[in-house]
Amino acid sequence: MSTPILEFRRVSRSFGEGRAAVPVLRNVDLSVNELEFLCLVGESGCGKTTTGKILSGLLPPTGGRVLFEGQDVSTLKGEAYGRYRRAVQIVHQDPYASLNPTQSIFDILRYPLLRHGFAKNHKQAHTRASELLELVGLTPTADVIGKYPHQLSGGQRQRVSIARALTTQPKVIVADEAVSMVDVSIRISILKTLMKMRETLGLTIVFITHDLALAKYFAWEGRIAVMYLGRVVEVGATRDVTGRPQHPYTKTLLSAIPEPDPDRTRRKEQLSLRSEDVPSLTELPAGCTFHPRCPFFEPGRCDREEPELEAVPRAESDARVACLPLTEDGTLRPYGG
Amino acid sequence: MQTSKTLTGPPPLESGWLSRVVSSYAVRTLLQALLTIWAVVTFTFFLIRLMPGNPIDVYVGFLMNQSNLTYGEALQQAASQFSFDPNASVFQQYLGYLGDLVRGDLGTSITSTGTQVVDQIARFLPWTLFCVGLGLLISFVLGMTIGMLIAYYRNSVLDTAVSFFASVLGAVPDYIWGLLILVVFGVQLGWFNIGELRGTYDPGLTPGFTPAFIWSVVRHAFLPVLVYVIGTLGSWILNMRSSTTSVLGEDYVNVARARGLTPGRIATTYVGRNAALPLFTLLAVNIGLVIGGSVIIEELFVYKGIGSFLFFSISQRDYTSMQGVFLVIAVSVVVANILADLLYSSLDPRVRIEGER
Amino acid sequence: MRQFFRALARSKAGLLGFIGLIFYALLVGVGPMFVPFDNEVKTDQVNAPLGSRLKLVTRAADAARYPSLASLEGQVVGYVSSSGGETLVEPLEDTFDDTEDYRRGAGVEDGLEELTDGDIDGFVLFSESLKTYPIGPGSDFPDLTVSNARLAPPHLLGTDTQGRDILSHIVNGGRTLIVTALLAGLISTTIAVIFGAVAALVGGPVDRTLSALANFILVLPKFPLLIVLAALFTLDNILLLATLIGLLVWPALMRAVRAQVLSLRERDYVEAARALDLGRRHIIIREILPNMMSFVVVNLILAVTAAMYDQIGLIFLGMAPINDYSWGVMLYFGRTRGALFSPDSASMVLAPVVAIALFQVSMVMFARALEELSDPRLRTA
Repeated sequence: MSTPILEFRRVSRSFGEGRAAVPVLRNVDLSVNELEFLCLVGESGCGKTTTGKILSGLLPPTGGRVLFEGQDVSTLKGEAYGRYRRAVQIVHQDPYASLNPTQSIFDILRYPLLRHGFAKNHKQAHTRASELLELVGLTPTADVIGKYPHQLSGGQRQRVSIARALTTQPKVIVADEAVSMVDVSIRISILKTLMKMRETLGLTIVFITHDLALAKYFAWEGRIAVMYLGRVVEVGATRDVTGRPQHPYTKTLLSAIPEPDPDRTRRKEQLSLRSEDVPSLTELPAGCTFHPRCPFFEPGRCDREEPELEAVPRAESDARVACLPLTEDGTLRPYGG
Repeated sequence: MQTSKTLTGPPPLESGWLSRVVSSYAVRTLLQALLTIWAVVTFTFFLIRLMPGNPIDVYVGFLMNQSNLTYGEALQQAASQFSFDPNASVFQQYLGYLGDLVRGDLGTSITSTGTQVVDQIARFLPWTLFCVGLGLLISFVLGMTIGMLIAYYRNSVLDTAVSFFASVLGAVPDYIWGLLILVVFGVQLGWFNIGELRGTYDPGLTPGFTPAFIWSVVRHAFLPVLVYVIGTLGSWILNMRSSTTSVLGEDYVNVARARGLTPGRIATTYVGRNAALPLFTLLAVNIGLVIGGSVIIEELFVYKGIGSFLFFSISQRDYTSMQGVFLVIAVSVVVANILADLLYSSLDPRVRIEGER
Repeated sequence: MRQFFRALARSKAGLLGFIGLIFYALLVGVGPMFVPFDNEVKTDQVNAPLGSRLKLVTRAADAARYPSLASLEGQVVGYVSSSGGETLVEPLEDTFDDTEDYRRGAGVEDGLEELTDGDIDGFVLFSESLKTYPIGPGSDFPDLTVSNARLAPPHLLGTDTQGRDILSHIVNGGRTLIVTALLAGLISTTIAVIFGAVAALVGGPVDRTLSALANFILVLPKFPLLIVLAALFTLDNILLLATLIGLLVWPALMRAVRAQVLSLRERDYVEAARALDLGRRHIIIREILPNMMSFVVVNLILAVTAAMYDQIGLIFLGMAPINDYSWGVMLYFGRTRGALFSPDSASMVLAPVVAIALFQVSMVMFARALEELSDPRLRTA
């Protein structure tokens, strides 16, 4: 397999110092392959946004290494760093906060185009900006280009945000909950735009969401990484992870998604968590951090050693999971059963 | 916004009783307060002594004018009367002053020989505290009530009119209001006799809880208090209005409405309490400002409080008295800030001060 | 810009403030060219009331015969002393048969009575006096009438205790105050913006030092300290005064700017600019500063009003230079020369009081309107 375009090796990130430090990511291994559609899924506070920011170089890790095309980004300097910088762009969640209210749409697109030489002058920038707006479906472009963000709707703003990310001709776009604040009716169309970009421009997309159903629908050809409390607990092809979930956490998440057919929903295997409370990041449980809530908790085993991502023996799925009973025995036993 | 409180604290020291004492809120606040006061004392001490002329020069000039003495004679007489040695180095004076201060001794006044600065302050400060305190209390309560009222009826004619009025009140300096009141109501309309209202109470009365004395004090304090109220009311109204407006948009207020709570209860326990919170910090800042500004107001109304005493001391270059007043103002600002913090944290459970957990 | 004016027109208070500021700009900018400073002591025109004009009163029957002072040749002319009458009457004294002067106040009534009785034939007095003692049909003096509407240029705002025209002092006495206040506001705002931005962007020990300095200055009793500083430096130039005021008032704004920058630099669009590798300069100049502009301008205006407060307060107490006859100096003399407590000299105090008050109100109204304009919720369309 070729070198991943982006790779995490034992990446950790904590906020604050000393005793007050909050570990948001702990020893995360993750690779993003060229041209793939990777979904990061997890509850709020699981570290998926932090992962996105570290991937795009907006936040340095406090431990581990981030590789871009096989090179450690912390060693990149000058033009090599600039190339990485421009190659990974981010699309934010809130379309009302991600555009500077004092700049016109043209300004927003013009600055990066001119700065990085994608346009030599004002006129070229205008032509290029119009092309980008057309690409993201904001037509007629002449109506939009001179406007200010507050004159656009949420969906239109999000498209501008995508167009801005495209100005530097990136290879990877990290879309952080990019549609969760847009009207449901417009979500699909924006997502389809993103999918089209991926094909026509040859983009790699890292899609961060809390909505497993959305991930299942859009990343069907791609992969899903499920995160829990700062770690990746299951990663694999979408059809494996959503069709034959292995990790207890993935299982409980999927069992919570209602199916379009009510009969199937009712027949679905209902897995209930042993506790609704997500442990605090400052007082993480020992061993597997999921064990206080896990329906398959094995006392004396799961609360000792923290599991690593490994393949499950004899499973139909190619996914790798972080769960000792699974990776060592290949089976799960219900707690107390 | 207030979560930063817990984040900006110093990093924890090594464990042990000492670190627990130092990081406990009360001790840290006290240390910080003492440090601030020391800094103010030091800064003003040297600044004051940099002023041109010293108390002896000023008094020599006075003696030469008054009793036709020669410079030499006047100097001798002045030097014998003052407890001030112009030849001691400023740094020696500073160390001596700090030493006395630690023992609670503010020294003796340089120009009013034999008078303790503490006594002078005790004589003038209560009047200022009385006027400023009463004025701020009235305007705070009035401003919060009016501000909340117009926030409930925002964008109505009432709101527009009152907001405009409040802006005008706040825009015009308080002493300008004082002059206006003095000239229009006192002199032109003759509603009160300004000449009689000089000082803090009518001469000839003995202080005590007699109706005559209290009435006299109230009459003399009326104009300064009125001016303090007018000078601060506008900002309370506008601040309370914007604070209430933002609280009214909060979900918990809507939920309270949906729960069918009475408007009166929502206004007091939900809106009023939360909207008033940010104003307490402002109150602390205001106390310092108003005491500082009392110099002009007291000079204007010839009211013998700490402000006019300070002005007198400055013109006489009475170093120790000036120093004493600066100290008192700094202490009152620091204390007001601490009180505001305490009040804030007792009203807002989100701000539990570090060390209480 | 057009948007700004349209929005300004919507906010009535803002429009008033804007008009007020234009008025003041004209007043102190070009006013002195038309109304030169009146420094001539005129002992006969002391404390003329507001809007005072000198008028010639005669018996109604004689009005046609005596249209002017000169036409009273050979007659007896009365005037009210210390109110300007002397200046008009004295040059013609030789042409009159006799002159009579009356005391101000109650003397006016005597004069009017004597005019009715025919003891004098013409009476020069302030129009203001006629409000207290009305003349003409139906009044106590039915036989009298005003024969000449205007004898001398009027003192619209009256005269001061030295008989100098107060209007000319108002026109000429604002420029230095406003320039000093603007300077002080600019100085304090510049310090506040630079320190606030540096503290927020650099952080660490720099932030702690600057914040501690700001907190320290906030505890200092600002106005008393200014008095000491005013004594320490001879405040003979406005730049020094403006600097001193500016050095003492920046901390509150600095803390606000710091908080603003801290919050702005966490915005998603700033993060996007970092992702786009637009550079630190671009982020500060294009992304952060424009979003603070209205906030800074509003605070600049408020700083100017605060500087006005301090400056005039100092002058009022006699602690700042008096070599320039400003509105503040008028107040100072009003206080020290007893005008404050004399019913006759109200306009000497009231005129600068109103001039200062209206200036402050205009500034604050304008600032409030700007504040509303910068609210994005109000900016749509």
